[in-house]
Amino acid sequence: MNYSEYRIFSDFVAQRKIVFYYYGYFSQTIVSAMADTIKLSMKQADTTASAKRKLFSCFVEMAQNIIHYSSEALTPATQDDAEVRQGSVCIGHTGDRFYLMCSNRVAASDVAPLREKLEPLKSMTLEEIKRAYQDTLRSEQPEGSKGAGLGFLTVARDASEPLEFEFAPLDNHDDMMFYLKVTV
Amino acid sequence: MENLYLAATADSPEVDFRFDTHELALKGESYPENAAAFYGSIIHQLRDYLAGCGDGTTITVDVALIYFNSSSTKMLFAFFDALNSAATRGVRVVLNWHHDPEDDTIGDFGSELHDDFTALEFRDLPTVS
Repeated sequence: MNYSEYRIFSDFVAQRKIVFYYYGYFSQTIVSAMADTIKLSMKQADTTASAKRKLFSCFVEMAQNIIHYSSEALTPATQDDAEVRQGSVCIGHTGDRFYLMCSNRVAASDVAPLREKLEPLKSMTLEEIKRAYQDTLRSEQPEGSKGAGLGFLTVARDASEPLEFEFAPLDNHDDMMFYLKVTV
Repeated sequence: MENLYLAATADSPEVDFRFDTHELALKGESYPENAAAFYGSIIHQLRDYLAGCGDGTTITVDVALIYFNSSSTKMLFAFFDALNSAATRGVRVVLNWHHDPEDDTIGDFGSELHDDFTALEFRDLPTVS
């Protein structure tokens, strides 16, 4: 990028009302620092306290998913603490709502299980989401989950619109790019 | 047994368990990378302590968490489950649930604890921050 391209880039960010964007490595320390800056910008934001809390909650769930599940890991795949993995997260403002987007690479074998988890959430009512959340809270931790199997349900509960997601193929790689969009 | 104190960090709450006076407190934010590891050892010590509590003991638990992520939620549920088990066999457990009255998520979670863990003396304490 030269200066003029950087200006175009900055103008685009301003026009699209992007309040936060990060691409790179995600570790718990990095997520915690991002959480700080998001809290600060939310203090200034003209929205309800409830929307601010939901935005923060979705941010943490999405960012920690990248730490745990991105297929681009700097730390060994077997390591389940102090993990460092790559991805991106973005927060924007449109109309009177905030939205979050995140992306990370996922192994081809993870695409079908992710779809299975996310697809039903798109058509569930808030009541159904809350009930599924309560059931999952009381069940045993699912195999292969580093959290509680509650992450996507938490995000769906906090969202004001159905979740949007897609998988995009990568050039010269079997992995897929996973994108998730949440409007709060 | 020895009291347990862990200072709050950016992503984990203050843990102040005064086993000698039967006062347990959790305060702050909770979104550690590995909630199972963080709460696992706390719950382990809680169980050891509860095993030594007889009838007639009154335990006061103050929880003032302003945010917890999904994996912490799961572990907190296990934490209250352990307290409830002790309460069903005769230990008196008072749970003071402090929360911002405008925070529906934490208010709802408190109601669920109240519904599920009926042996706990649940006190809903909305406090304006």
